[in-house]
Amino acid sequence: MRSTNARHDDNVQTGLDSSVAAIFWCLSKEESANPAILYRFELFVLQDGEKKISEKVVSGMSNCSDFLLLKEDHTLGNLLSVYLKMAPHVLMAGYKIGHPNVPEVLIRVQTDGSVTPREALVTVCKQLVAMYGQLGREFQKELALRQYADQGENAGGGGGGGGGGGPSGQNGF
Amino acid sequence: MDYDPMVMDDAEALGPVVKISQADSVRVKYELSNADIAFANSLRRVMLGEIPTIAIDLVEVEENSSVLADEFIAHRLGLIPLNAEGVESLLYGRDCDCDGFCEHCSVKLTLHAKCTGDENMHVFARDLVPTGERVNHVLGTPVLSDAEGLGPLILKLRPGQEVKLECIARKGIAKEHAKWAPSAAIGFEYDPHNKLHHLDLWYESDAKAEWPPSEYAAWEEPPQEGEPFDYDAVPNRFYFNVESAGNLSPDTIVSEGIKVLQQKLAGLIHELADEGGDGANGEFNGPRSPEYGTGADGFGGYTTPFGNAGNQSSWGGAGGTTPYGTTPYGAGQGSWS
Repeated sequence: MRSTNARHDDNVQTGLDSSVAAIFWCLSKEESANPAILYRFELFVLQDGEKKISEKVVSGMSNCSDFLLLKEDHTLGNLLSVYLKMAPHVLMAGYKIGHPNVPEVLIRVQTDGSVTPREALVTVCKQLVAMYGQLGREFQKELALRQYADQGENAGGGGGGGGGGGPSGQNGF
Repeated sequence: MDYDPMVMDDAEALGPVVKISQADSVRVKYELSNADIAFANSLRRVMLGEIPTIAIDLVEVEENSSVLADEFIAHRLGLIPLNAEGVESLLYGRDCDCDGFCEHCSVKLTLHAKCTGDENMHVFARDLVPTGERVNHVLGTPVLSDAEGLGPLILKLRPGQEVKLECIARKGIAKEHAKWAPSAAIGFEYDPHNKLHHLDLWYESDAKAEWPPSEYAAWEEPPQEGEPFDYDAVPNRFYFNVESAGNLSPDTIVSEGIKVLQQKLAGLIHELADEGGDGANGEFNGPRSPEYGTGADGFGGYTTPFGNAGNQSSWGGAGGTTPYGTTPYGAGQGSWS
């Protein structure tokens, strides 16, 4: 019996017996032993003892902190730094990703002193959660309207130009 | 201060606005307005790379007398879209207590085909049969969206050749491997008239004549002749075209993308909010998947307490249980509505 991995990655072994399943399993729970080999899931899975976000106060500046986000990328880095800049009481905000191969984001925030950088960041995160929540509700509402309109069109218009949609999927979409 | 601190509050009061121009089983096209470009782009990035789906990850080959190598077939199998409906009740392999794989973290599919006729035989995704226990009866079924219901062609067999193999499909995200991507493509466009000059269009003699207008050009005011450049303008309307690969419906991709992004942010709030830090975080030590600690149940409780001041305490309570203590199966997937 031969066993092979469907990922076609160079760094995952392809073996000749079924014990490969076990070998792969061990690897996928640990960090790769060789630091030069980065498994793809290490881009987003926190390792033992790692914290998602940690704060370090910047000593040379007043009311200023660096936040180190582990296993994150531009998705959060850019989003948070842009919205921090818009937030009240925030004087300065920015982010950097030190190296493209290292999944760590550094966000620096300086406030005017009436709120701490940590409070400013929490406020922005909460605001964004609410905004995305609203986006989701808006989307569902619009989608229901759209589907209602499409149904009306199909029923009334004799099934004319059907919008170029493919054959209706067999998966119940 | 020369900027208006009320800008954000205004945006909050109005919030993002969505207008859907097309929605069917393959794609959803919508316009997102009254939002920042960072807001729109983060959603795009998450929809591309971080929505969990299911794909074949491990293949055990019992018999393969076809002309293709085992690895070659395994790679092709990995890329076949599988129905990911209900994948949220499946565990990631790395978070499961089992040794290898089990019905809580994988779906087993078998493929057995032998060419007994005297003409070449085509083996399609249709011939992949899910076997054994599944969390629901559609999860992991190959997506067959062509008219004949055959699905993608896996390989061809000459008379007498045979393949017999067993596939383990696991949950994952496209950041690890593109086979887990739910979207075939995501169109993202703004400023169709290039008023903001974010694009520098190459041209032979006249950019206007050589670059066809986008389908959204009619949606926005074209620039007036001799209009001065507006230095303060920022992009405000974004045109998305989310095309599904078949494993999730396009509207689910959008709503799941929003959910994943909210979970990311909620995770940050969670860690930042408990000031002392050491007590609750000690519990989260092992390697874990992104949404694990703040996962389905933790998050479902989030949206409701949001807004009243008491949410910090509700987070603290969630952090007290070990991630393995709360059962992720059948957790109230009220989603984000």
